[in-house]
Amino acid sequence: MKVPIGWLADFIHLPTRDPHELERILVSLGHEVEGIEEFRPSFEGVVVGRVEEVRPHPDADRIRFCRVDDGTVTRDVVCGAWNFEAGAVIAYARAGSRLGTSTDQPLEVGSRKIRGIVSHGMIASARELGLGDDHEGIMVLDELGAATEDDLGRPLEEVIGLGDVVLDVSITTNRGDCMGIRGLARELAAYWQIPLRDISPSFPTGPETSAFEVSISDVEACPRFVAHQVDDVRIGPSPLWMQLRLLAIGQRPISNVVDVSNYVMWELGHPIHTFDADTISGGQVIIRRAEEGETLETLDGAERPLLAGDIVVTDPSGPIALAGVMGGASTEVSETTTSVLVEAANWHPPSILATSWRLGLRSEASARFERGVDPNLSALATARTVELVALTSGGVPRSRAVDCYPISRTPWTVDLTARDVSRLLGPAPSFGDASALLERLGFGVDRKGGSAVVTVPTHRADVTRPADLVEEIARLHGYDRFPDLVRHGSQGGLSPEQSAVRRLREALVGAGLTEAQTLSFIGQDDLDALGLPLQDPRRVTIRVKNPLREEEAILRTTLLPGLMGAMSRNAARGLKSVRLFETGRVFMTRDDPEDPRIPFQPFHLAMVLSGPGVDAFAATGMVDLLARVADRRLGLRQESLPGLHPGRGAVVTCGATDMGIVGELHPAAVRKFGLDGRVAVAEMGLGPLVSAGPSWMLEDVSAYPPMVFDLAFVLADTVPAGRLLEVVEGSAGRHLESLELFDEFRGGSIPDAHRSLAVRITLRAMDHTISDEEAAPIRRGIAAAVADGLGGVLRGSM
Amino acid sequence: MDLERLAGVVGDARARIEATSDLAELAAAESETLGRRSEIAVARRGIGRLAPDRRREVGRAINEAVGTLTAAVEDRRSALQAEAENALLEQDRVDLTLPYGRPARGTHHLLTRTMEDVCDVFRAIGYEVAEGPELELAWYNFDALNTPPTHPSRFESDTMYVKAFDDRERSGPDELLLRTQTSPMQARFMEKNPPPVYVVVPGRVFRTDTWDATHSPVFHQIEGLAVDSDITFGDLKGTLAHFAREFFGVSARTRFVPHFFPFTEPSAEMLVWFNGEWLEMLGCGMVDPNVFEAVGYDPDEVTGFAFGMGVERLAMVRHGITDIRHFYDSDLRVLGQFR
Repeated sequence: MKVPIGWLADFIHLPTRDPHELERILVSLGHEVEGIEEFRPSFEGVVVGRVEEVRPHPDADRIRFCRVDDGTVTRDVVCGAWNFEAGAVIAYARAGSRLGTSTDQPLEVGSRKIRGIVSHGMIASARELGLGDDHEGIMVLDELGAATEDDLGRPLEEVIGLGDVVLDVSITTNRGDCMGIRGLARELAAYWQIPLRDISPSFPTGPETSAFEVSISDVEACPRFVAHQVDDVRIGPSPLWMQLRLLAIGQRPISNVVDVSNYVMWELGHPIHTFDADTISGGQVIIRRAEEGETLETLDGAERPLLAGDIVVTDPSGPIALAGVMGGASTEVSETTTSVLVEAANWHPPSILATSWRLGLRSEASARFERGVDPNLSALATARTVELVALTSGGVPRSRAVDCYPISRTPWTVDLTARDVSRLLGPAPSFGDASALLERLGFGVDRKGGSAVVTVPTHRADVTRPADLVEEIARLHGYDRFPDLVRHGSQGGLSPEQSAVRRLREALVGAGLTEAQTLSFIGQDDLDALGLPLQDPRRVTIRVKNPLREEEAILRTTLLPGLMGAMSRNAARGLKSVRLFETGRVFMTRDDPEDPRIPFQPFHLAMVLSGPGVDAFAATGMVDLLARVADRRLGLRQESLPGLHPGRGAVVTCGATDMGIVGELHPAAVRKFGLDGRVAVAEMGLGPLVSAGPSWMLEDVSAYPPMVFDLAFVLADTVPAGRLLEVVEGSAGRHLESLELFDEFRGGSIPDAHRSLAVRITLRAMDHTISDEEAAPIRRGIAAAVADGLGGVLRGSM
Repeated sequence: MDLERLAGVVGDARARIEATSDLAELAAAESETLGRRSEIAVARRGIGRLAPDRRREVGRAINEAVGTLTAAVEDRRSALQAEAENALLEQDRVDLTLPYGRPARGTHHLLTRTMEDVCDVFRAIGYEVAEGPELELAWYNFDALNTPPTHPSRFESDTMYVKAFDDRERSGPDELLLRTQTSPMQARFMEKNPPPVYVVVPGRVFRTDTWDATHSPVFHQIEGLAVDSDITFGDLKGTLAHFAREFFGVSARTRFVPHFFPFTEPSAEMLVWFNGEWLEMLGCGMVDPNVFEAVGYDPDEVTGFAFGMGVERLAMVRHGITDIRHFYDSDLRVLGQFR
């Protein structure tokens, strides 16, 4: 909310006008200041002048020749405006004047010849002076109440008292009471402990009582409706002082009645609506919820379909305004309006919120009603509006307002104890000091010892509980004045799972992979690009109801599309060797086993690798690294897998559990992501890898030398090397220390469709040296097991 | 051989040994001077023929001579071997400034690092680390956190919801949404754990925000919660000020100003003085009694503080990053700088 400092000063005697000091204080009270702007239209050299004489220009129809008295001399000026005659008091920009606001490039005024007559300067319009958009005519200062003949020759700046510093204050959603200058002034008055200079509107009234009857059919929708009719109104510009204030807060002056409504909303924080009273039929105003199917043409000319929850102001002909959001076109105040019905009503905040958001009609008025406006303010707001409408339009108010307030809001009480305060704030402030702070903020405090009954003023609807009062106490006491105490807990460890995840990440980084974070969303195209068949579980997805883009409409079931997108972007930037991994949640449609109310969202770990020399083994090697770091025995079951190269893909197994996939992405998928060459990938559930950390306990090591021997077997190509290792391991006995496949050989004496695989076996015992005699039967046992289980033939002995 | 002659032979032999220039020459010289046919060997074999009274004297002299020459040969051999090795090593010289097989090393993502850094600051003062689901019930994200059913943050313009994917009716508090904050874990954690509670919760959150330099539909937060029988506003201030000093450096100054959040009362915002300006760094406050009631804690028995901070914001401020998209674009030239 824009807050001109000069306007604040209407309500309190400001001990300082330094905007930075005011900022510091407002921020300390919880009102963030987002900016400080200077509103300072500049018109160096412009003085108050009077038009002495006006006559037609001898050589032109559309401009006139004037003689202007600037208080010292009278000069010739040519003017294109027609909204004045001789005698008008005007803003005379003498030759050499500089016009414009502080932000614009100033306009320099000179003497120039126009159609044969030298014009010494100009008579300025509001827009030329940076005082608004009005360019229809020049500013007639005496009509605007801004200057009289007595001011002749005085600098315009001095006469109309211009310039202010404007604070841009952000009001939190709980503080509707601070959405007006008066509300913020009340906060500052509490801070400085000085009185608030409140307004008390007064105006002469006519004899007639109101011609309108008001009825409210839904008291929740409309707790209060105050209306006051003003007759004999003349619509015209509002006075300059009001226009200047509106300009300072960024509101465009329109006409006296509209400007007054805006002015009062800003001043008091209570939105005002005005109707052309003559356009309301039947003398009846009924406030009710809209009926499904009703429509209303709003001020902006749009035909708005209404819903049952919307609140409408109606007359017997139907809706005439969308309450709290926008007025209706048929009852709008226009240039020809002569009788105005001023409305200050109170509306149900959630209804206004729903309607304004649904229709995209968020306004200064809806922002206030959404936060909540004190219904007890409506009478004052009406009176202030009527006062200013009468003042600026010459209107005559009816003798009294119509005030429909079926259930009035009265102050409520909250019981507060000393313990309530001290358990949240500590020993200071004391309960006595706390009570005094509340009183400064306008709360009534009836204190007896360590407990008090606190009466809450009706503009503080946000305060209903002791904790709310404690915040008020803390705020005014000053957050800076509380001590800084470091609060220790007692459980700063990581869980075994959390430690394991950190180790896995560290290992992958150590192995040259870079961690990526990709979006949690994928698109249908991503699943298609991977070539997943329709029945693939990764296609069983949860979709976002309101996605930002179609490519981000699905919650990811796999991390690979995100990583492939990342690889593809890097390739496009010329990076051919890309090694990325990510850990993150994927989303399944089945229930979370620990909380069946929500879907299962396990963490996955995935990697993508490309570049010279990269093939499936780059990924299987990383899987092996993960197995070692996690102290897990992971196996590979090679098979043709969706999305992967049919001959270069495997399921990663852990015991009987399938926990992921590894291999090369199918070349078709690689191309779909705009890449070429081999791309090695792996993706697995992180949970099984980290569900129990590695053993903490040291295993003893043997002091005896190892027995090492190599065995080579001729095996059919259909036997995976991994199977050979399993069989050897299963038959080598308890002294097996390590096992390594170190050679694959084809050709020579090896039959077709066969290969020789050589393994190096290391045996070592804890308590003795293994002799050749002891090793011989082990060797024979292994050979027999390979022969029996895999049909492998031992190639001589080595 | 008389002793004088022996001395001469030894002198010559020694000169011969020391003059050798490679190991082959040395072997030849050794054979010549100490071998079976050498003068010394011949003389040794002739000792028996000497007069008994001279045998002892000549024998000792010959042994001495053999010892001297053997040592000379060994010395020379060591010297020649060293020379030979040096020559070989010289041939083995390489240019160490040539490029090498670079050991692989990737980088951690800066967001991961930042979250670990923040968690570690709190772990060091005894807070545990917990994580919660990203697809969450409206109950935990809003209702349990004292956010009224009509609050605009629930609108689709702020919060992402999901389409029905099975035959279950999910509405009101049961509606599924992508959590807009890590705060729902406050309620989940308290439901499962009796007080006292000291926990931080890092994680991914979502909002219906279109991409620009400071907005991303996906971002990260770290939530913190401390609940005990005697926690006051000063504990909140001191603990978070401690965090700021640990994270931004010992000279980091903090300032707390009132703010509004539905789930804390009093609420505050912490500003940190960094690079010459006060920056809004996190929201915090004393846990609202309604939150305690929602999770089954007695608001009359416990008090607590909660806070939430944006991980991207922390990282951007600390590392001078001006565009949030750097975190999600996975440009290796950027990620590689995060070490």
